[in-house]
Amino acid sequence: MGSFEGWVAILALAAGTFAIRYSFIGFLAGRRMPPWFERVMRLSVLAIFAALVVPLVVLDQGRFAPEIRAPHIIAALTTAAVARWRGGTVLPLVVGMATLHLAMHSMW
Amino acid sequence: MPDPVDRGARKPPAAEPARLAFADGVRQTLMLAPTYLPFGMVCGVAAVQADLGEAGAIALAGLAFAGSAQAVLTQFLQSGAPLAIAILSGLIVNLRMAVYSATIAPRLAGATRRERLLWAAFLVDQTFLFEEVRHAQGRHRAHALAHYLGLSAVLWPAWVVANALGAFAGARLPAHWQLEFTIPLSFIAMVAPMLRDASQRITAFTGGVAGVLLFALPLKLGLIAACLLGVLAGLLADSILAAHRGRSSERRET
Repeated sequence: MGSFEGWVAILALAAGTFAIRYSFIGFLAGRRMPPWFERVMRLSVLAIFAALVVPLVVLDQGRFAPEIRAPHIIAALTTAAVARWRGGTVLPLVVGMATLHLAMHSMW
Repeated sequence: MPDPVDRGARKPPAAEPARLAFADGVRQTLMLAPTYLPFGMVCGVAAVQADLGEAGAIALAGLAFAGSAQAVLTQFLQSGAPLAIAILSGLIVNLRMAVYSATIAPRLAGATRRERLLWAAFLVDQTFLFEEVRHAQGRHRAHALAHYLGLSAVLWPAWVVANALGAFAGARLPAHWQLEFTIPLSFIAMVAPMLRDASQRITAFTGGVAGVLLFALPLKLGLIAACLLGVLAGLLADSILAAHRGRSSERRET
């Protein structure tokens, strides 16, 4: 990837993100968000994270390979459980990475 | 609850509260540093791996100032997705900020354009959450912006520095540590507590399964398609649940 493309990506993400932040504070000041619109936005954030994360966890070079990715799957489930139990990001992350390495060493 | 007279008696000198509100914000985000610094470093590493270079990694952190979107963007650039899909995916992740923007907007009646720009510039998960807590507790009522700028005065530079550290040090970290796996794990840690009602779980489940099934679609369009399917499934679940609730309340009435 050329560095020109990289800078386009950086500036476009920055500008688009600012537009989202400024939306109701500035551009649409005084307008309220319709409930269905808020619902769609909240759901789309969940959907895109799930659509991004699950393949990163279960796929091995684009192929569904639970036997190869077992340590990653176990680590992902552990992280989710710790996050739901205690909240925060650091503890779930540390426990998840520790689980990943433990599982990789004990299984293979 | 103290009455107005009591509050007046305990009020610090006139010049004090704005500074106190700012200092309170500084203290709050300093205490939170262990939660965002590691993720910032991971984002810096990912940006360099996606060929943005050290300067690009720092610019991305400073200008976009949105960890998950930065990580999503760089994941996509690295996997060879077209530019537009990578940018769109990053922006979808940031749609939650429109909800934050809409939540804060009614509190800014009478704010100047300059103040509104400041509120928008630093609107991220952490600053929003602290602002929510401040608002709910009714603290620093007259100095919401000072408190918010106190939060941002730590968070923004710390975020840029963490990304820079990741960008410069990242290439030297051994591959077998699998540090790149901290990105999906940190997303999981963020999203898992957000799955509260049935529709949200159905949305995430559909999005995840569709993400795997549609992974091979050309141009990485699978992610956008999976996102749409997830949202549709969630809305469908919403309407089915609402109809079900409606029917059971009718039954109770008769």
